[in-house]
Amino acid sequence: MSPVRVTWRRTIGRARSLFSTAFAAGGFLAATAALFAFKLDAAEGASLSVASVWAASVSPFLPALAAFLAMDVWSDELQSGRIELLLTTPVREREFTLGKFLGVFSMVVVSTFLSFASTVVALRVYAPSALAGVGVLGFCPAFLALMLQSVLWCAVSVAMSSIFRHAAAAACASLLLLIGIPRGGWAALLAWAPQGRTAFGEMILDAHVIDMSSGLFSSGTVLSYLVLSSFFLFVASKNVAMCRYCGRGGRSLRLSTAFALILAGIFSGLVVELVNRLDSKLDLPVGNLETEFSARTRGILSSAQGEMTVTCFLPRKDARFRQIGRFLRRLQRESASLGGLKIDLRFVDPLWDLGPAERLVRLGAAEGSLVFEKGRRNVVLPLADGYGERICASSIQSLTMPPQRRNVYWTVGHGEAASEEYGTFGMSDIARDLAREGYRNMSIDLAGDAQIPSDCALIVVAGAKEDFSRAESGRIDSYLRAGGRMLVLLAAADSGGVAQLLPGWGLRPSLATTTGAKTLSGTDLIVGEFSEHAISKPLQGSRIVLERPVGFMPSAAAETGTGADRIEFTPLAKAGTAVVAAAVERGVGAGADLSIRPMRIVAIGDAGFVMNGQLAARANANRDFFLNCVAYLSGTDASVASGAETNVLTTGLDRAARIRFATVVVGAVPFVVFLLLLAVAARRRRRS
Amino acid sequence: MFEVRNIAFTYRKKQVLRDVSFVVSPGEVVCVIGANGAGKTTLLKVLATLAAPDSGVVMVDGQNALAKPLRYRRQLGYLPERVALYEEMTVKEYLNYRAALKGEPVKRIRRRVDEACEMCKVSEFLRSPIGSLSAGLKKRVALADALLLRPRVLLLDDFLAGLDSDMRETAGAVLSNAAAFSSVIATGHELDDLAKWATRFFILRDGVISASVSAVGVDRSSLRGRIATALKGSVS
Repeated sequence: MSPVRVTWRRTIGRARSLFSTAFAAGGFLAATAALFAFKLDAAEGASLSVASVWAASVSPFLPALAAFLAMDVWSDELQSGRIELLLTTPVREREFTLGKFLGVFSMVVVSTFLSFASTVVALRVYAPSALAGVGVLGFCPAFLALMLQSVLWCAVSVAMSSIFRHAAAAACASLLLLIGIPRGGWAALLAWAPQGRTAFGEMILDAHVIDMSSGLFSSGTVLSYLVLSSFFLFVASKNVAMCRYCGRGGRSLRLSTAFALILAGIFSGLVVELVNRLDSKLDLPVGNLETEFSARTRGILSSAQGEMTVTCFLPRKDARFRQIGRFLRRLQRESASLGGLKIDLRFVDPLWDLGPAERLVRLGAAEGSLVFEKGRRNVVLPLADGYGERICASSIQSLTMPPQRRNVYWTVGHGEAASEEYGTFGMSDIARDLAREGYRNMSIDLAGDAQIPSDCALIVVAGAKEDFSRAESGRIDSYLRAGGRMLVLLAAADSGGVAQLLPGWGLRPSLATTTGAKTLSGTDLIVGEFSEHAISKPLQGSRIVLERPVGFMPSAAAETGTGADRIEFTPLAKAGTAVVAAAVERGVGAGADLSIRPMRIVAIGDAGFVMNGQLAARANANRDFFLNCVAYLSGTDASVASGAETNVLTTGLDRAARIRFATVVVGAVPFVVFLLLLAVAARRRRRS
Repeated sequence: MFEVRNIAFTYRKKQVLRDVSFVVSPGEVVCVIGANGAGKTTLLKVLATLAAPDSGVVMVDGQNALAKPLRYRRQLGYLPERVALYEEMTVKEYLNYRAALKGEPVKRIRRRVDEACEMCKVSEFLRSPIGSLSAGLKKRVALADALLLRPRVLLLDDFLAGLDSDMRETAGAVLSNAAAFSSVIATGHELDDLAKWATRFFILRDGVISASVSAVGVDRSSLRGRIATALKGSVS
């Protein structure tokens, strides 16, 4: 048996007999799980995979675990005097060091694996949607990333243990070196230059984990970790060897060892610099939450011809850079495979690529935007507005297809949310999205003699609080009878607006009484149950949120009449038994033959459904649901968006499930592991 | 043949060993005695490669042992003055671990451990945790560790300290047995006990071997007298 293996087994055996190991492992599991539960909550709807969230939760605690497990591997031998017995065996110091390092590393691997296993099992039970598209294999890059960091943390901790005779001092030194200096330094840097956060990007250790956990492996990063780990193991090994070099005879050996350590430090630094300069990146497909492009996007890409330049105008250090790059490359590949548009991708860093950056600024692009260029035409898409499939496809469409403007009329004068209002309760965000989709937003006041214009694709009643007058209701009624289209966001079941008008068209607002529905705040509703309707079908698997939900039921007018007079009521989204969004259509059967435009109304039971505040605060499918409604009502059914934004994390956990999930991963699993390790240690202790 | 030539060692400007030279033949039990601070432990540490000498060489069968330390350590058994073992391990676990560490093949470890335990009379404690043993037994376990691979050179530092008379007898018997395959160099203060098994005494004073007293064919009282004289200063 090789000395390395013997020492490795001994290190693990010793750890098993210590109560502190049980505390370390149990504490590590509880802390990582608590942070994971917290981060999972915060990352709901964010562009992250659950594997990245898990890795980012484990990563900050790994240095502490390594420091705790390695603190006495050498210091105990030094303090007790057993070092003499070890050094008189025919084993090299580096073999001892490697064996001890591997022992500590193995324990870190096992602890991390336990964290991974408990997390995956708990997610599978409580939040299977979070694992959708990731799977166990998707965690592999995250696990590898953590292991790579652990190698360095263990090496540093073993080195510190060889320097200090007291285990506590070794642990403190390790924690200072691994957590205090990097994270404290980072905090100091941000405190010193708070405005520089965007330029600095993520803290470098966290950025490594997030990058690698999403499949991007950089040779420079990987080699840097390995080189630095080797250096610290060399330090540990030489430090142990120094025990032999007491006295005058050992002076030259001490000097040569110190010189070797300095040279090794310089060499390691140079190698790290070199490998980072000659960096090459490997982008593994595993670990990504990539969904297929929708039929609409594929249609746009395949029908468009010629060449288009898409430029990502963003600093490379920006946290979104990698994800956007990956998305754009996927779009490029998809287009090439469809034999349609030839997309030329460019990345311009405003800090480094000054020439191209200046050109983009002249085009009107600000830092942090995507620029779509075709010939002399261009579309600038600020990334703050999102860069998902739908928006990018619309931008491509607007450059490659002749413009077809459709007018959306927003009613005013009854306390409706305004499409020009930029505040929290305004609708400017969704209006801008509509404009991107090719719609023209117009306001209409029906109070005067104004009639609904013939170029009206649909009217939007966005949460009217006051009753429409008889004349206004009559105008809307006439418009609808002539095959008009209306989208209603209802403030409350008994409020004014058009609520009185709806029963005549098959819709009866009611209180949304639900039992067992998911909620975040207690008053809102998280709805994930969608019907097979053209509006809601593409949103299967996603969630919409209604702040103050109103329900709908079919009125007496619905499901009556025959032929062109028949009104069909279709639920779109349900929360328990309550229908919170519904569509009615009249004349659907006869329309195709008689060229009668069918009347359509879509009602959503929440006035604030797509208000700016709602869209900014929560990551949900509200925006897509609304745009689907508009597409359906305006008759561009084929352009219904898929709603599939890339890499969006959806757990679907409500408050109760979240509590159960946290209880299992933070409480139960760590406690069981703690008890098991405690029992093992107690058994060994009792024997002695 | 184990030979020490002109070993010198200085620690913090104090010359602890000066020009120490001697030869130990196989089968010999050499005891190094001297007052506290004379340099006995330092000498054994130098011989055990735990300290680098200022000058001098250690030869084993005509080869410079310090030039090839790994090879030398394979032939070395060392019992330090302060016995520190792994308290949570059983005797068997500890000796297995040490034998494996010394490079003994797995299939021979059991035999080696049994032999060493038999020799040191700790076989009945094989399954006992070291933490539960008395200091004397721990010393015997440490001795078994030193004897595990039947070393060519056995270095025992103050190995009788803290042992009662029965234990000393046992340890002495072990020493006699070990001499069959080792060149034994032991240090200590227990002159009466050491005289029973030693073949030669080196008197170490102020880092110099001031006298060498043969114990073969000399009766105990006369040997004690000669050593006492040597310790007082007369060089023989």
